[in-house]
Amino acid sequence: MSRVRRHYAAGVAVCLLGVLVGVAGCGAAQSKAKPIQATTTAAAPTVRLQAIAGLGEVLVDSHGKALYMFPPDHRRAVTCTGPCAGSWPPLRLTKQTTPSAGPGVHADLLGSDPDPDGGRVLTYNGWPLYTYVADLTSRQAVGQALNLNGGYWYVLRASGQPVVPAGAPVPR
Amino acid sequence: MRRTSRRTALLAVGSLAGAAAIGAGATELAQPSATAQPIPPPEDLMREHGVLKRILLCYREAGRLVLAGQPLPTRPVHDGAVIIRDYIESFHEGLEEAYVFPRLRQANVLVSTVDTLLIQHARGRRITASIIAGTTQPVRASAARQLIASMDSFVRMYEPHEAREDTVIFPRFRQITPAKTLTSLGERFAEEERKLFGRTGFTDMVNKVAAIEESLDIADLAAFTPEA
Repeated sequence: MSRVRRHYAAGVAVCLLGVLVGVAGCGAAQSKAKPIQATTTAAAPTVRLQAIAGLGEVLVDSHGKALYMFPPDHRRAVTCTGPCAGSWPPLRLTKQTTPSAGPGVHADLLGSDPDPDGGRVLTYNGWPLYTYVADLTSRQAVGQALNLNGGYWYVLRASGQPVVPAGAPVPR
Repeated sequence: MRRTSRRTALLAVGSLAGAAAIGAGATELAQPSATAQPIPPPEDLMREHGVLKRILLCYREAGRLVLAGQPLPTRPVHDGAVIIRDYIESFHEGLEEAYVFPRLRQANVLVSTVDTLLIQHARGRRITASIIAGTTQPVRASAARQLIASMDSFVRMYEPHEAREDTVIFPRFRQITPAKTLTSLGERFAEEERKLFGRTGFTDMVNKVAAIEESLDIADLAAFTPEA
């Protein structure tokens, strides 16, 4: 079984915490399970490529929202939780859905990591993927190279490499 | 001890410790009452706004000094901007974005206002990053004027921003959130703060801001009272 499929078979999360745009609401049962979280359900995620002004083609989610990596994750674990995950909602996976790779995106780089807040988070080239809550529309990445929540945030190329502007710290 | 009562006790200890640290100078910290109650989320968020307001005042004072021909006090401005980034923009705004705004969206309440607030969070974070980057060392007059313009734009945006949250967003949030959930959220906010900033996180931030005010000589509250 591939890494991705194994992770989905084991996936448990249904809802995204704080994902604000382009997704449908959770059912009542989920709300009762975690009453303090305002939750929404993720659609089957597709990682695609999209051109964003000033950045070129970068990874985006099913709704065209830019996907970011967070260097403190060190390609090992989801470290952005709690209020951080409010600003940078992780791309959580549902038990029922399998992510897919759009044209130009390498399916073999998709994977997942456990989320300390519950469920699993989609990864690409080992990096847990996040959106930015202030990206209210597609074709924007206003969180690019922003230093917040203890580190810089970068969008990713199809190769899995972060887009690091000159002078910004390079993730290791 | 229940979490709630433990937090109340910790806040009391933290505030007292903070007051002791400041000593008997011009700066005073609020004292918790003997029968302090758990802090509801709106009040928690509003007292964090108080931290921000005090730094905005420091930004104003820095601008006033430059306009008066003095050098930009880079260290206090830098220290204030770092508190804004780490405590306000990373933590406080993260709480709003994680727990407050999504509830309003789900209830289809004040959605366009929430969008504006999110855009302002994003703009503010960029301005703060530029202020931090620009104040790592003493600056020339031209750079100082640019920084003052950035601080002015930040103050101009955040005064109405937090006023709108205090008077419109938080009251509506409280209206649409069941009492039990509000209590749970209060506990969650306290736990997140403890994880990130320790058990006296809020008090520590207040003390840091008080020290910045001292360095700018604006710590004496009475000095703001107009003459009769």
